[in-house]
Amino acid sequence: MKKTALLILLLASITSLVSAQSPFVTKYMSFNTAYLMPAKKWESGIRQPFRIGLSQKTELFSTVLALPLTPNAGIKFAWGEKGSFRFATAHSLSVPSPVMNILSREDIGGFISPEYTFPFILSVNNSVLASGPVCDSALLTFKADFLFAIRGGDIDPQSTIDLPVIYPRMAHYYKGSSVRLSANIKAPVMKKLGVEEGFQLFLITRNENNFFAENTGYLYWKMSKKMLLKAGYNLSYGVYPFGNHWQLWPSLDLLFGTSK
Amino acid sequence: MMIRVISPKNILRILAGLSILIFMSSCEPLATGFDDTEDATMYQASSLRQAPQPDSAILVMTWNIRFAIGRSPWFGDACGNNTVFTKEEVMPHLDSIVQAINMTKPDILMLQECDVASQRTAYINDLQYIIDNTYFNYAAYVPEWKAQYIPSDGLGRMDMGQVILSRWSIRDSKRINLVTRGDQSGLVNYFYLHSCIITGKIKIPGFEEFSVLNIHASAFATDDTKKKHYEEFKSMLDKIDAEGGYFLAGGDLNELPPGSDSTDYCFEDMCPGESFHQPGDDPQHKDGSNYTPEITWLQPLYDDYVCAVPLDRYQHNQQAYFTHTTRPGHFWDRTLDYLFTNYRWVENSDITHQYLLKYSDHAPVSAMFVLKKEN
Repeated sequence: MKKTALLILLLASITSLVSAQSPFVTKYMSFNTAYLMPAKKWESGIRQPFRIGLSQKTELFSTVLALPLTPNAGIKFAWGEKGSFRFATAHSLSVPSPVMNILSREDIGGFISPEYTFPFILSVNNSVLASGPVCDSALLTFKADFLFAIRGGDIDPQSTIDLPVIYPRMAHYYKGSSVRLSANIKAPVMKKLGVEEGFQLFLITRNENNFFAENTGYLYWKMSKKMLLKAGYNLSYGVYPFGNHWQLWPSLDLLFGTSK
Repeated sequence: MMIRVISPKNILRILAGLSILIFMSSCEPLATGFDDTEDATMYQASSLRQAPQPDSAILVMTWNIRFAIGRSPWFGDACGNNTVFTKEEVMPHLDSIVQAINMTKPDILMLQECDVASQRTAYINDLQYIIDNTYFNYAAYVPEWKAQYIPSDGLGRMDMGQVILSRWSIRDSKRINLVTRGDQSGLVNYFYLHSCIITGKIKIPGFEEFSVLNIHASAFATDDTKKKHYEEFKSMLDKIDAEGGYFLAGGDLNELPPGSDSTDYCFEDMCPGESFHQPGDDPQHKDGSNYTPEITWLQPLYDDYVCAVPLDRYQHNQQAYFTHTTRPGHFWDRTLDYLFTNYRWVENSDITHQYLLKYSDHAPVSAMFVLKKEN
């Protein structure tokens, strides 16, 4: 089963590069690209942020499901085109301390030891995105993120959640800033099917546990006019407090909204 | 000269193969399950020391080192609030353990609750540190509790297990999985520790090879899981005995010797806010503290094999052989740790190291194990 899924992903990645041009990518797969949501259109995923186009040059976004426990919001600006590339910047704020204090509990569900209390943490993320077409139908995006945190006090370095995917994204809450460099390519495969392959580096500005990399691959299946299924994998490598570690995890999301 | 072009089909096959290889090698489950029998992980000192040549006996010891947190109030067994300990908190305890080992100088040491890569103890490898700072040449390790992440009480990543340390090389070392606790839900059991026995064979020049078996039986099971553990342990000993071999067996059996005067420790182990033995209390007894219905479960071991501390000697002066207490700051109040053989101990050579009160919640037990001369 796993082998079949991987073969499909690989086939899809390669065939996508030679497919005919289609608006599938910019219409249904514009998250994590320099393309914005069109004005008055919105989309959301269960995990992927809610995005709404305010104008042709501005988009608001927030991970809605996390809002009660991790207040978060962001804004994305389109900066026009140069050559064949389109540029955008995104700027967001989040406050993860409430959810971290909730995860710090006794018994089952205690991801963090109850002996730790977290001070106010404000995480700031600024991103630059550039997207341009390749092989007619595919869209190549380069992205650079700079993340830092304003901390209301010291955080115990042993209160980390030492799991792939989670640890690199929380690293800058504890110590240092985080620079993320990524590239992804998205392409249509068939009328109702798209594919994405991505690579991301996490560089944390500190002396240890400071390097992580992820390779992601997703298939987008247009299930109906307003709904897409996004399924794939996340292959990660990193230098964790316990040593170097590889991990492969599945990834699943359901996307819906007016743009669908 | 012919240039062979790789076809797109072959490129796909190569990519698919590589991806599958990465997939298979990286797919570590959240919590590790165990086969019935698995190979142990072997350790060796960076520079081997000359092992002494014994005349007729060697000193052996068993010790549950409580993952080198001394008597600290850990949440899991001492009514504490702490789950995670820093390197600065662990290292003094680990140094004390090393000091005690170097002072006692057992030739073979069986450890239980040895952390090698756990978040709760700052990922310190207790075993590597002990090898690097003692005179042992070889060690075998098997995990008893291994998980990428335990989503309970902030335990996080866990790799704790049992060890055989030896001056002489250990061969054929295995992890023998013991029956799973029958009184837990599937989800809890998935992330919970899995009791086991570590086995190995040691050959000392001039003497017959003998088997070593180190067990850490369930501590908190409230059903008959512990009884099954003792039965599994004994059946392994019986097999070695039936085949004409001899063994050194021991560990933390988490059980009282038959004939113990006190068999219910609910009040001793009770944490603030808990209540037991009162009308309406549910449960009536604290998990792992009421040995009354289990008091004969070790009798078959005593019946067939020789304990380093003979049962009649224990029964006449029980306090002198107590090896455990859950209460930080209190003296030992029960016996849970044992050494058995189907051959002989040097008479009265056993020591229950009760003076090592601050090193762990278990006292080590040592004795002189008589070796069988080679014909």
